[in-house]
Amino acid sequence: MPRLVALLATAALALLAPRAHADDVLVFAAASLKPALDTILATAEARRIGTIKASYAASSQLARQIVAGAPAAIFISADQDWMDVVEQAGHVAAGTRRNLLGNALVLVAPDDSGIRLRLVAGVDLAGALGADGRLAIGEPNSVPAGKYAKAALGALGAWDALSGRLVAADNVRAALNFVIRREAPLGIVYRSDALPGSGVRVVDTFPPSTHAPIAYPLAVLAEHDTPAARAVWTLLLSSAAAAVFERHGFDVTAQ
Amino acid sequence: MTALTPDEWQALALSLRVAGISVLVSLPFALGLAWLLSRVRFPGRLLAEALLFLPLTLPPVVTGYALLVLFGRHGWIGEWLAQFGIVFAFRWTGAVLAAAVMGFPLLVLSIRVAFDGVDRRLEHAAETLGAGPWRRFTTIVVPLSMRGIVAGCVLAFARAFGEFGATISFVSNIPGETRTLPIAIYELMNVPGGIPGVQRLTVVALVVALAATFAAAVLGGTAWRRRRDD
Repeated sequence: MPRLVALLATAALALLAPRAHADDVLVFAAASLKPALDTILATAEARRIGTIKASYAASSQLARQIVAGAPAAIFISADQDWMDVVEQAGHVAAGTRRNLLGNALVLVAPDDSGIRLRLVAGVDLAGALGADGRLAIGEPNSVPAGKYAKAALGALGAWDALSGRLVAADNVRAALNFVIRREAPLGIVYRSDALPGSGVRVVDTFPPSTHAPIAYPLAVLAEHDTPAARAVWTLLLSSAAAAVFERHGFDVTAQ
Repeated sequence: MTALTPDEWQALALSLRVAGISVLVSLPFALGLAWLLSRVRFPGRLLAEALLFLPLTLPPVVTGYALLVLFGRHGWIGEWLAQFGIVFAFRWTGAVLAAAVMGFPLLVLSIRVAFDGVDRRLEHAAETLGAGPWRRFTTIVVPLSMRGIVAGCVLAFARAFGEFGATISFVSNIPGETRTLPIAIYELMNVPGGIPGVQRLTVVALVVALAATFAAAVLGGTAWRRRRDD
């Protein structure tokens, strides 16, 4: 009987054991990159490198997992703070951190909305929301898009009037979804989230001077710094990848 | 172990209120449905049970999205209810609705099992003595099922207190309205340097969970003793 239990326990543990191969490359990337990155990782160049798997989630969760020992080889964060956390914990391979992409912050409304606004100092967003409408943004303390939104609204002098009128979503796509479903008459998302066909239209773009530059840092992670990982890093910085990123609404800031 | 910040107290108080009210609001419906399932053969009973199980089996995020589609400001039911001034979207009432939906199956199942266990001959005897259905229900079925009802309430409260996925997808994260304890913990996990707050709130969640279990044991035990003394 004890041998049977031991056998079953061993079998159960074997099911849990990682089956990744040594030359597989695991990419941890911010959720907003999924459409563009899936396209790039499906190209012939990417397939020549080997098996590349991508895991998409909030940058914060990915960073915490990397610090806790997740077997990722590449990390693309949606803001500098979380790449800083990973770098300070000693997980970034020396000399591999690059600001891969930029983006713009936009005010969006549902496709069929008639709201018109110019994002200048003193803009009356609370008035545009109507009596009980709310502005959908990323959570302003934790979600990168929310942090940029808070800074930009502050710079335009509109933040204080909006307290109590916000819906703080746990990621920028959730904020977008509240606008698509017309639960919120206005929202603040990235330009790359508001492409034609997304169900929202861009009311106006926030002037870049109103918030810190939106940057997506890229790095190879020290524990899995293999030739295949370096090949993926080079691919992501290539002009072929840049064309895909630009088609998805990103600015390419590194070459 | 430092004290909780005002924001953290607010999240705890909101969670207790949302979970408590969700159980109170669901209880009459759960008693009625449990009685139907236990005592009445009606067409579509299997379908009703399958629907009842949905919040347990569906991913909570799906339940939250379904609630948004149904009860949102422009949802199929929400738009109609808004005429009467009943709004769930982005309000604490929406958090109650999400918590109630998630806890409802546990409540009904516990009560239904308790109703099934009541000796039907007692009801028949009461009937021969002239007690109507309502009188039989309130003086025989419910008192004899008290343990199951209490257990169901505690289970539903616990499920509601821990509710995360459906709540955040339905009513998002608004301080004082929908930022419950689990959502506050999740948010702190996503803030650089938020771990001390996560640890404080985790201890709070543990205390509430243990207290609920303890309360269930005490209340259930009391009801059980009373039943033996009768």
